[in-house]
Amino acid sequence: MVTSELLTGLSSIILEEQIQGGSHSSPLLGNNGRITVFPKTEQEIADILQYANEKAMKINIIAGGTKRGFGGIEESADILLSLEQYKGVVEHSPGDMIVTVKSGTTYQELQDFLAEHKQKVPLDPALPKEATIGGVIAANDFGPKRLGYGSARDMVIGLRMVYPDGTIIRSGGKTVKNVAGYDMNKLFIGSMGTLGVISEITIKLRPLQQYESLILLSFPDGNLEDIHTFTISLLDSVMEPVALELLNPPLAEIVTGHRAFTLAISFEDVESSVRYQVDYVKQHKPSDASISILEQNDARSFWDNLAAVSPNGQQTVSEQTTKAALKVGVKNLDVVSVIKESQLLQDSHHLKAEAHGGLGTGLCKVYLTGTKDDVVSAITSLRSFAEHLGGYAVATHLPLALRQQIKVWGEKPSHFFLLDGIKAKVDSKRILNNGRFVGGI
Amino acid sequence: MVRNKVKTNDIHIINLAKLVSSPNAILYKEEDLLAYDCDGFTIERHLPRAVVFPKNTEEVSQIVKYCAENNLPFLARGAGTGLSGGAIPLNNEVIISLVRMKRLLEVDLENRRAVVEPGFVNLKLTNSISDKGYYYAPDPSSQYACTIGGNVAENAGGAHCLKYGVTTNHILGLEVVLPNGEIIEIGNGGIPDSPGYDLLGLLTGSEGTLGIVTKITVRILKNPEAKQTVLAYFDNIEDGSQAVSDIISSGIVPAALEMMDKTAIEGVEAAAFPVGHPKDIEAVLLIEVDGIAAGIEGQIEMILDVCRKWNVREVKAARDEAERGRWWANRKTGFGAMGAISPDYLVQDGVIPRSRLPEVLAKINHISKESGLRIANIFHAGDGNLHPLVLFDSRIPGETEKAIEAGSACLKVCADVGGSITGEHGVGIEKKEEMRFVFNDEEIIAQTNIRDVFNPDHLLNAGKLFPTPGRCAEVKRELSSKN
Repeated sequence: MVTSELLTGLSSIILEEQIQGGSHSSPLLGNNGRITVFPKTEQEIADILQYANEKAMKINIIAGGTKRGFGGIEESADILLSLEQYKGVVEHSPGDMIVTVKSGTTYQELQDFLAEHKQKVPLDPALPKEATIGGVIAANDFGPKRLGYGSARDMVIGLRMVYPDGTIIRSGGKTVKNVAGYDMNKLFIGSMGTLGVISEITIKLRPLQQYESLILLSFPDGNLEDIHTFTISLLDSVMEPVALELLNPPLAEIVTGHRAFTLAISFEDVESSVRYQVDYVKQHKPSDASISILEQNDARSFWDNLAAVSPNGQQTVSEQTTKAALKVGVKNLDVVSVIKESQLLQDSHHLKAEAHGGLGTGLCKVYLTGTKDDVVSAITSLRSFAEHLGGYAVATHLPLALRQQIKVWGEKPSHFFLLDGIKAKVDSKRILNNGRFVGGI
Repeated sequence: MVRNKVKTNDIHIINLAKLVSSPNAILYKEEDLLAYDCDGFTIERHLPRAVVFPKNTEEVSQIVKYCAENNLPFLARGAGTGLSGGAIPLNNEVIISLVRMKRLLEVDLENRRAVVEPGFVNLKLTNSISDKGYYYAPDPSSQYACTIGGNVAENAGGAHCLKYGVTTNHILGLEVVLPNGEIIEIGNGGIPDSPGYDLLGLLTGSEGTLGIVTKITVRILKNPEAKQTVLAYFDNIEDGSQAVSDIISSGIVPAALEMMDKTAIEGVEAAAFPVGHPKDIEAVLLIEVDGIAAGIEGQIEMILDVCRKWNVREVKAARDEAERGRWWANRKTGFGAMGAISPDYLVQDGVIPRSRLPEVLAKINHISKESGLRIANIFHAGDGNLHPLVLFDSRIPGETEKAIEAGSACLKVCADVGGSITGEHGVGIEKKEEMRFVFNDEEIIAQTNIRDVFNPDHLLNAGKLFPTPGRCAEVKRELSSKN
């Protein structure tokens, strides 16, 4: 179908001012559309999907655009469905501690709204100012405080999904406990928009912490054995850190000014409890580690700065240097080895590698900047390192050309036929975010 | 050596007997099968074709393959404590009992995980690691008997899931035998977020309709430094409900927040673990706070303030671990305690947004009056999970049916305020039709479509979880299969 025909077809569904020819993003990251549409209602989303499904047209989904470099092997689909105008809080019940929000709301907008009620969504994803809650859930993003609060799968209790044929499917509900039918929420969280368009999300909230402190332990000698031993003793104590994140020296330099392996330990609770735990760490820290303590706003700024380090798919990308982001999953304490390995990559591959990982979660984020070839080789090397530990590495940000070259999600799992079977049942014409997920789903 | 000699003409039983290697690993005589004609849901009973007791994954896989090849319906069963009939052999199934696969395979304290076989009993896990200061969080009331495999199937909850989450929040990896006998591993041994759709989350709570779990990696937690448990007595159930709402919205996340009404109190006080609740109060709250000792006292103060604001008659804190234990035993055996005041009872499992508690209780009270049956209420008030217990006498003709109707009406009330028909007991057979209270035809088909990916021939635990398709749904299914 030629673009003008597509324009005519779509203009019978939504207002012309909500349609744009082409896409304004650089072609370097791909995941564009020949036409961009900006639905404002769920019905419009459903109509667009139904129209595209009937004509077997491909749709890419976008909102904040921060994850444009995450998955996908095509420069452009027929339609780019932007949810950036589909935003706002639908319902907030402070007494029930739940909120229902439209997917195009930015994470920060949601957090600011909830803060007025002394509540929060306890996720701390990358780039909260631009990333939308829908994108965060679809990509299952998370941050260091996952240790204390869990991830999207622990807090999303209900979804309204628009299926590829335009049907609205509700999963879960508005209660914090619910086992009626299959837990379909889990299927959609992290499914990268390949099963449906997330319309509304209902999330279980937490009270805003009454007090927070952050301890930065920096290890100038880089003695990782010390870090390992100290971590084991802290985790085996009754302390309850909400984050226990190891930063490699280049990343620590950006967020603390000191180029050294740094352990960021965060406590959030009533003030007396936080102070008690901070004292515990002061007393038990390894003797050669230097300590600094940030409280309240200072602690928050630290985490904000860390969340801003991630490459942003929304920004213009230069052809000269290549940026990549990886999510590496290993057993909890193997995070120390991954962070160390990322440090070694710097020298062996002549690039910049900034890395942090949760010693209680087993998940690391690694950011690479260098020439194309060095980045590719570093990814391959780090992936094989993670796989050797029984883990995996997923490329969460890469230019299109490299996504066509490297398998973003690694090899297919042995039970891939089930994943593909689910995709085939839900999106038989494979119109949604085609090729953006594991094994080309 | 064939360990299982069988005397029967049923060729399938003869063949199945060859697939299990431990002694006495197959039951097929009617008198032996009677114990397997229902689970904790006793209203409906059906005999299985046989019960087999595999001792490892390979045997499960062989049995499943045999059933699949011979078109024999089959299902998995743990301790049989399920309350919604999920393990009842509606179609003369071969029951694959997993109780002999009950080993604790691995404990990795440093990485906070343990690996168990499905027949491993829930409470045993905590008991096995408590000397090191660790525990397994999901604590259904039947935890002394129920198996972790069954917990995974039902996504079991418990009193402490308010703060720590239900089973699904603690499952890190599964080994699964699919309905064709194939063995798959999901969750990568406990490393989170394995690339791909979250099958771990999908299988947990799928009530044994997608596969049979043969190995489970769970998260284990460090014991909190301190715990404090408080009982609060209210003369008015509305005051008690308001206190619940205010405690939660004050910024405290209690480890547990349980409530019992007058009828329930009468039951627990007449049963095996009375603790001396006053007979004339309308509601008791059992509140537990845990965490860093330095922070506990302040939280208890806040809770006491809220209770006083809502006219509490009396509050008291547990003096020691023994008293705390007695209070919990009193609460956790609450369902069975109804046997002390009624010949029969039926337990329901609705969930509501907490803030609707007073309104819902009033409506349940109305249902009780209309039906002429007493309804006791025991609930996980903190997360809005109600357990109305409908008391009846099955010897009186028609009363069982009346109780079932009253139970269903309670669920309708929950669904109508934006809640759900089950919070932790599962749909099973019992609440199949009530699924329509919360899902429309398209939403049910969306779910059965997923089932068909795993279980295309419906040999595994058929007839559970989903309502009999309505006419309209059947037409739609036909249409969609033509596309």
